[in-house]
Amino acid sequence: MLIARDISRRFGRTLALDRVDFEAAAGEIHALIGENGAGKTTLMNILAGRVRPDSGEVSLDGAPLPAGSASRALKAGIAAVNQSPMLFERFSWEENLALGGFDTSGFDLKKVADRSRALAERLGFELPPTGASIEQRSVADRVRLEVLRALSFDPRVLILDEPTGVLAPSELAPFLDLLRRLRGEGRIIVLITHKLGEALAVADRISVLQKGRMVARTIAAKTSEAELARLMIGQVAISVPEAARITATDAVALKISDLFLNRDGYRVLDDLSLEVHAGEIAGIAGVDGNGQTELVEILAGARRPDAGDFSAFENGSRGRSSLAVIPETRDQDGLVLDMPLWENLLLAGPLLSRLTPRGWLRRAGAIALCRELLARFSIRAPGPDAPAAALSGGNRQRLEVARAIACDPRVIVAHNVCRGLDIAGTAEVHRILSAFAAAGGAVLLISSDLEELLAMCERLFVMSRGRLRETPVAERDPSRLGLLMAGHWK
Amino acid sequence: MLWSLLKSVVAITIAALIIAAVLIALGASPIGVLFALCEGAFGNWYALTDTVVKATPLIFTGLAVSVAFSGALWNIGADGQLIAGAIAAGAIGPYLGAWPRPIAIAAMLIAGAIGGAIWGGICGWLRARRDTNEVISTIMMNFVAAQVLSWTVHGPLMEPSRAYPQSRLIAPSAHMYMFLEPSRLNLGIVIALLLAAGCYLLLFQTRLGFQIRAMGRNRRAATFFGIPIARLTIGLLALSGALAGAGGAVQVSAITHRLYERFSPGWGFEAIAVALVARLNPIGIVISALFFGALDNGSQAMQRAQGVSPVLVQVIQALVIMILLAFDTPAVARLRASFGVGAPISAAPQTGASADA
Repeated sequence: MLIARDISRRFGRTLALDRVDFEAAAGEIHALIGENGAGKTTLMNILAGRVRPDSGEVSLDGAPLPAGSASRALKAGIAAVNQSPMLFERFSWEENLALGGFDTSGFDLKKVADRSRALAERLGFELPPTGASIEQRSVADRVRLEVLRALSFDPRVLILDEPTGVLAPSELAPFLDLLRRLRGEGRIIVLITHKLGEALAVADRISVLQKGRMVARTIAAKTSEAELARLMIGQVAISVPEAARITATDAVALKISDLFLNRDGYRVLDDLSLEVHAGEIAGIAGVDGNGQTELVEILAGARRPDAGDFSAFENGSRGRSSLAVIPETRDQDGLVLDMPLWENLLLAGPLLSRLTPRGWLRRAGAIALCRELLARFSIRAPGPDAPAAALSGGNRQRLEVARAIACDPRVIVAHNVCRGLDIAGTAEVHRILSAFAAAGGAVLLISSDLEELLAMCERLFVMSRGRLRETPVAERDPSRLGLLMAGHWK
Repeated sequence: MLWSLLKSVVAITIAALIIAAVLIALGASPIGVLFALCEGAFGNWYALTDTVVKATPLIFTGLAVSVAFSGALWNIGADGQLIAGAIAAGAIGPYLGAWPRPIAIAAMLIAGAIGGAIWGGICGWLRARRDTNEVISTIMMNFVAAQVLSWTVHGPLMEPSRAYPQSRLIAPSAHMYMFLEPSRLNLGIVIALLLAAGCYLLLFQTRLGFQIRAMGRNRRAATFFGIPIARLTIGLLALSGALAGAGGAVQVSAITHRLYERFSPGWGFEAIAVALVARLNPIGIVISALFFGALDNGSQAMQRAQGVSPVLVQVIQALVIMILLAFDTPAVARLRASFGVGAPISAAPQTGASADA
């Protein structure tokens, strides 16, 4: 029996886990579900000893586990498999497995290969020929190798973080069978996922995390996808914002037609088309990793689609400069942290052109613009010369929104623009975007936060596996949207 | 800025202290060595002017390294680019006899810049189009340049008498303007100063310079906002090579008047130290190059007076680089943040100025 009691963990301003209880019994597959940011991975890291909780303790079969030591957790019998396989590309598979527990005495690759083959056979899958490097293997093979490596320690508990996220549908069934066989050996399997169908199909019990709190523990056979979706998303206010309804017009401001994008053999964007009208805030809901990032990169001009096109319109004529994009990862994509604020404004193409006439930098003009934006958008900063790193997250985000608006665009595309902001910060960013739409601009809000989208957007789309589907107002109840986000479109 | 300068001064001081300890351990007098170094570098008119002459190629290569570093392109190949520039200038130099002197000198410089630009541009192309690490390719191109130089002075460019492995003398009209002879002061230092000013303007006063610096500080953000990374990479390494190559041409035109093997004593490598001490600031490069030029120049006097090997100077240079790099570790950044100096990435929000609304 794996028991976690009263676990809390805070990262900076966010309480990732709030007095969470969790237990999983021997011979059980226990699914842990929740939205992005619900705290699933944090809980896994605490169980596996990689993160020390602020409070609470973990015990396995009655014996308390020392907190914050991955090697001791492993010794006690808890092995964890990461979301993205952590393998050495250039090494052969048996070299990768040699870092596991098959042969701890020396570095006998033959012994490692023999033992892993024996184990793989027992689990019902085949290994590539000896000496084959990881590079050419499929993602499914990699996930299986990771699982094999974890099992090489003969763990009592196996925790898997979204192992199926990267698997093709045809690879899923054999993988779930593998989990069932492991359960049959009396192990405790903890499966972290946001795919409800999968949790229902394979798990005995399901625990639901919502914004850091454990909101439910149910028996899989006694629940449904709709109920799980409702539990996962929680209470959200359903309302169509008045402002958007009043200002939306018929004029198309952004037209995306038939975008396709393939990457590493996966279809990331699948025939994606969308129109956003002047004066409206349109929203795209979806679980992260369903093509949103790539869509935003294409709209920013940082990535080329395989097929399809998009244009921003101003008074009926096309022009890409009238499109401003606010990226999701502000510190990596949106800002240069060790450059002053006024130089960060110059990253945006239209501002760079305006402030460098004939190629020469108008420093005074850029500083004046920066000072004006700091005042207009109440950005708390020491001054235009302060580096972006000196700002708090909320103020960095406001700077990005201010920069987008300073470009005088017709369309603003904002991706997870309020992630990590507190309530006041979120309200402020929403107020700015609403005002922009009310003044005739078009906003495309891409977010994994349903609550935000339902509060802001008149028209709402759901994105799943690179496809887009509009949801009529009638469909906007959390469980229905949860199912749509999970890819159940019918 | 203040912290940056302070950092260089502190690094040089620490290096000097380490050297002093070593000298004492070896039974030499650190004061005597320092005095001999200064005597050799600034002690008389000839020493002083020669310090400037020795610093000149270091300004060219230092600028080359620093503009590339500003865009986070690690050009370790300034030496090869300088040699490529020298070969180009040395190859056309003998044929400029009929040309007016200003035009002949300009032709030498342009040839040198083109030679260096090709040498650097190849590495830029490899980085941009083939994702080849420019650290490796620029280092390798140093060896290629040295071999090409060796081949040319044994082969196509070898002097007609074929007595020594060296090229023909360049035409007198291609000789750089000299000042205050018999000193070796020449127009090259003026060109170097103008280029330093030009690099400063480019980096800090132009759109292109902003794009280079943005690419250097955050390549991802630069990509996201549509800065043409690939073109910029090729162009920047070509520009960097051109600066080093022009330095090679100045050396041929003003000092050597011909090519020979081992033309560069390692100006391109010393340039890395020059650029780091100057914290990549083009104006700082001039000061830093003069400092290293003085070390080079003084090292011979030091050997004569104190019997200390001139290699000691290279040890000082190496120590300065390592100390400066050690300053840039996260640990130091955190320490700096705790004193409120500078602005490292993980800076703590400054009190009252940046709390969330």
